[in-house]
Amino acid sequence: MIVQPMREQDPRDPAREPEVGAVVEARGLTKRYGTTVTALDNLSVSVQAGITGLVGANGAGKSTLIKILLGLLEPTSGSAHVLGRDCVRDGFAIRMLTGYMPEHDCLAPDVSATELVTHFGRMSGLPVTAARERAADSLRHVGLYEERYRQIATYSTGMKQRVKLAQALVGDPRLLLLDEPTNGLDPAGRTAMLDLIARIGSEFGISIVVASHLLGEIEQICDHLVAIDGGRLLRADTISSVTKATAVLLIEVEEGTEQLLAALSARGLSPASYQRGLLVRLTSDEVYDAVRDSVAALGLPLRRMEQRRHRIEELFRADATVDGVAEPGPTAGPDQTTGAARVR
Amino acid sequence: MSADLTSPGQPATPPAATNGGGVIHDIGYRRYDAERHGRPGIVAALTWHSFRAAFGLGRGAKAKIFPVLLFVLMCLPAVVNAVGLAIRPGSQPVVSYDAYIPSLRTVAMLIFVALEAPNLVSADLRNHMLPLYFARPIRRIDYPLAKLIAFVLACLVMVEVPLLLLYLGNVTQQHGPSQVLEQTLQLGPGLLYGGAWALLLASIGLLLASATGKRVFAICAIGIPLFFSYILAHVLSHVGEQAFGPAGLGEPSALASLAGLISPFTLLGGVLHWLQAPRGENVQAQMIQATTIGHYGWVYGAVFVVLTAAVIGGLIARYRKVGVA
Repeated sequence: MIVQPMREQDPRDPAREPEVGAVVEARGLTKRYGTTVTALDNLSVSVQAGITGLVGANGAGKSTLIKILLGLLEPTSGSAHVLGRDCVRDGFAIRMLTGYMPEHDCLAPDVSATELVTHFGRMSGLPVTAARERAADSLRHVGLYEERYRQIATYSTGMKQRVKLAQALVGDPRLLLLDEPTNGLDPAGRTAMLDLIARIGSEFGISIVVASHLLGEIEQICDHLVAIDGGRLLRADTISSVTKATAVLLIEVEEGTEQLLAALSARGLSPASYQRGLLVRLTSDEVYDAVRDSVAALGLPLRRMEQRRHRIEELFRADATVDGVAEPGPTAGPDQTTGAARVR
Repeated sequence: MSADLTSPGQPATPPAATNGGGVIHDIGYRRYDAERHGRPGIVAALTWHSFRAAFGLGRGAKAKIFPVLLFVLMCLPAVVNAVGLAIRPGSQPVVSYDAYIPSLRTVAMLIFVALEAPNLVSADLRNHMLPLYFARPIRRIDYPLAKLIAFVLACLVMVEVPLLLLYLGNVTQQHGPSQVLEQTLQLGPGLLYGGAWALLLASIGLLLASATGKRVFAICAIGIPLFFSYILAHVLSHVGEQAFGPAGLGEPSALASLAGLISPFTLLGGVLHWLQAPRGENVQAQMIQATTIGHYGWVYGAVFVVLTAAVIGGLIARYRKVGVA
């Protein structure tokens, strides 16, 4: 089992939970259902404060891990600690400090978002008045305003996901466990949800573990990445160390690809042909300037210039020393892009 | 985003509301450091929430129709009794504290339990809301316990409030403290017996409703067994009387005496019959369920206790096992 060393603390915010070393600490965690199904297999991982992506294909054990962390499931063997508390013995205390957003639909359709979130605020131990105030606050933070008085049955999927997030937030947790928060959302909704999560993590000072099978989107917002497959740890590391060395720039021009290749080579960028475009290793921001200048100098019609990363599953596969590593996830294809700049 | 406004743990300044666009300004995240309720407070909040749900409070007007209608129906005899006594002072009360109007109580409670128990437990199952509850600082047992307390209280309201109205109607026509005391002493056992109704029916209703998340199925799962067991108890009781020994001659047969155990309603009637026997008030009990208990009164008492405990145990076991996914 490999456990990669991680940064001690998020450097951006030294005030963030300084007294707790690791937000989540699992040691040899194993969960079996019956004798045949092994959901978690001797998983050891340490999650620091900040936003941590928990990635893996469907059935990799993400939801099982979250339920063990909440004290809702007992591990078959091994131990887990959340915010320094034991998950088996102190699940009660953990649930007082933790907000949970389940993967599946979990909202009553015949009440308003305000009523629902207020109710779950009370279920988190808030007195009536505080529950009402915090429900209004939480719903506003997730971007629900006047519509919060409408019945949830009338909401879009995106609005329901926001309500689910609001009910996790209402009890003022120290840690949020989000299970597939972008499930069922369209691309715009995904971006909005990810921005929201990033904001909660960075501005609200709440640590977040966000489970997803979509590596491409999770890497946009996470400080750390924990990848599991078949209940085992593939890799745990900071997101930058995982992806920085692999960032490349894809350039597509309508015509004159060969000319551009030569021009970029002349600037010492060692471009490589890739499908109809060129790939250039993104070593620094100057690469952008060099590409722009080259294209402009040649007067080529630029169709596309976008930063992209290798399929992260492949990285994990290359780094993993255990058997049975991840199959590529459904969406981690060549279209995994960040910071896309489209021209024309 | 307004990072300047939000330093964690510090209440941010209130927003300056804009009139034109209706834009609500970001006031930043506010921590909650004030007092929190512990487990008892959370269970109490869930109990109150569920109690209201039993009467359709907090939901639309449609949800209130049946509980309110049934409640009014249950209260009607008490009101009629009070009016009757007021018009003709000195006449005997027409409704007893112990049995109230047995047929009305049976039908009204059957419908109430079948319609409202699903609102307390099936809806949460149907909407997959249990993970939200169990991710909160409560224990597994707290959820069924809060639901049970809430529904027993709701059934108590249905059963006992009419008794209290009855008592008020009677007392206003009494003269002197001794007569009032007499009424009060009669009310006591009636309230206790009503409590037995509420406890048994509420727990049976919740257990059956917790079997399924579909409201219609849950209503049927409660209503059909309660109704047909009641019919069956009467049929068997009559068969027992006629085939194995006429009720008028000597002791009733074992079949006739034990048939009442089949249905919760006749079981409750048998318990009352048994408790009243030493007081020589068998007439009342006969009127209640038209079944006889013979020498088996103690069996009714025992079955009531065991059944109630088993049903409550089953309800708790149900939520110990329920999946949180």
